[in-house]
Amino acid sequence: MSGRSGAVSTSTTLRDAPRFDRGRHRFGVATAAATLVLIFVGGLVTSTGSGLSVPDWPLSYGTLMPPMVGGVFYEHSHRMVAGLVGFLTLVLAVWTARSESRPGVRRLAWAALAAVVAQGLLGGLTVIFLLPTPVSVAHACLAQTFFCIVIALAYSTSREWLAAQSDAVDVAGVRGAALVAAVIVYVQLLVGAVMRHIGAGLAIPDFPLAFGRLVPPVTSLPVLVHFAHRGGALVVLVAVARLFLRARRTGDRRFVRLASALLGLVLFQIALGAATVLTTKAVTPTTLHVATGAAILGGCWLAALRSFRLLRPRPSAAVLEATVARPVTQS
Amino acid sequence: MSIRSSLAVLALAGLPLAACGGGAKEEEAPPPGPAATAAGAAAPAGGAATGTASVSGKINFEGSPPAPERIKTSADPKCQAMHPQGLERQTVDTSGGGLKDVLVYVKSGLSGTYPAPTEPVLLDQKGCMYHPHIITVQAGQPLKIRNSDDTLHNIHPRPTVNQEFNIGQPRQGMESTKTFDKPEVPIPVGCDVHPWMRSYIAVFNHPFFAVTKDDGTYEIKGLPPGEYEVEAWHEKLKNQSQKITVKDGDKAKADFTYKS
Repeated sequence: MSGRSGAVSTSTTLRDAPRFDRGRHRFGVATAAATLVLIFVGGLVTSTGSGLSVPDWPLSYGTLMPPMVGGVFYEHSHRMVAGLVGFLTLVLAVWTARSESRPGVRRLAWAALAAVVAQGLLGGLTVIFLLPTPVSVAHACLAQTFFCIVIALAYSTSREWLAAQSDAVDVAGVRGAALVAAVIVYVQLLVGAVMRHIGAGLAIPDFPLAFGRLVPPVTSLPVLVHFAHRGGALVVLVAVARLFLRARRTGDRRFVRLASALLGLVLFQIALGAATVLTTKAVTPTTLHVATGAAILGGCWLAALRSFRLLRPRPSAAVLEATVARPVTQS
Repeated sequence: MSIRSSLAVLALAGLPLAACGGGAKEEEAPPPGPAATAAGAAAPAGGAATGTASVSGKINFEGSPPAPERIKTSADPKCQAMHPQGLERQTVDTSGGGLKDVLVYVKSGLSGTYPAPTEPVLLDQKGCMYHPHIITVQAGQPLKIRNSDDTLHNIHPRPTVNQEFNIGQPRQGMESTKTFDKPEVPIPVGCDVHPWMRSYIAVFNHPFFAVTKDDGTYEIKGLPPGEYEVEAWHEKLKNQSQKITVKDGDKAKADFTYKS
């Protein structure tokens, strides 16, 4: 992404400098919000076991609008919301291609369109080939990746991005903490998707202990994956708490508010994970768990984008030492 | 890229999968003639090593069967309308004096090959339930699947040996015909639209099997002389088996008793 092009450089004419386009920015935010809704509805499909209630694709029972009964309601609703998000992405890509001066942002918009098309194809493949785990997991993970791309698109067109001066130094280390948190959350979502699609959500039936112990006997792959997801939750908690502490040190409300919300979401997410197990995968907590996971990833990703946009990297120890030492030797 | 070319990208991306036939096995046009029901005694269809012996018996259940399961059908108003008094499922059904819907079959002791009948077995979707609950076919025998309901169903068997398929029947009266190539007992069948719909298909490489009737009785005819292992399978209860030895013309007895 040509993030730095928000500032007018000597090689960029004033006419080429990106202007704040309120309409396109809001459209990007709306697309991101619709994507989160889509992830929730997709989660509903799996939670209700409706993934194969419509056996054909791209049509549904040979029509565009089948009777919305039983599992068809969830599966076809997912297809309709997915169609809406695909349409929004297409509009956003074309709009960006026509009005955006930064090549990197234009490329990002086309990448979003490519991702949503690929996501649709994966959704079709998973129906046609009867939910093969690799395809279903790829479908779940590409959804998160697409969500991150759209968030980046929306943020890169925001007033905050365009007006950024990037003159503050990242003394607190927010950049690293945010990026690490985003990567850890993504990996955790990947493990969660594997757990969900191999049917290991109740492989460990008790909570907070696992088979009455802190570390369960790992007798099978489902138990291993389930326990890895629980362990991953603790790693996510530590990573987001670290981000929160570092954000507080900046004193910048934009970071503090976002990190506070993320910490609250992670605690809520852990409670949802517990509820998922204790209710033997009741539809509501299970689906909220999926959507909240996506929201945490989106928040960490936004924190990373924001910190990389607003803060300059902290000078390394060697550079600092040289900077301090130079005046002494000169005097 | 213009709007036109963007739309073209989407359309082209969708074409290959729209043309794809899916992962299910071959679907045949329904053959002419009436379909046989699966319940009751099975008679050998000819071929190797048939005889005149038979084995019959009754499946008893001692104790109290579990309470029937109340099924919520409100997800589909048409299903709900078909059952205004509500729907119950009794998987351990002893109302006829014996245990109903137990699959009894010769598990071992047979040799030779038995050609599959060409007459199809019918699996009907009626009243948002499967009829019969246990379907028995020979490997290669046509299985005719019919939707008698004024609502849509999908038919989704989940075999582990045979090929899985998932087909939709959106209109009343639709029929599809499928075959299973390999013996497999049992294959769960479900409708993902109506999760309460469940049945089992049992596929054999011989014709010596039966499903118990309302009174828990069964009969397997046409056995050649020999020593066999007869097994009883129920969806909620453990398998039981017995050894029998028959000569031509024998009428062997093999009763089974389950306890709660």
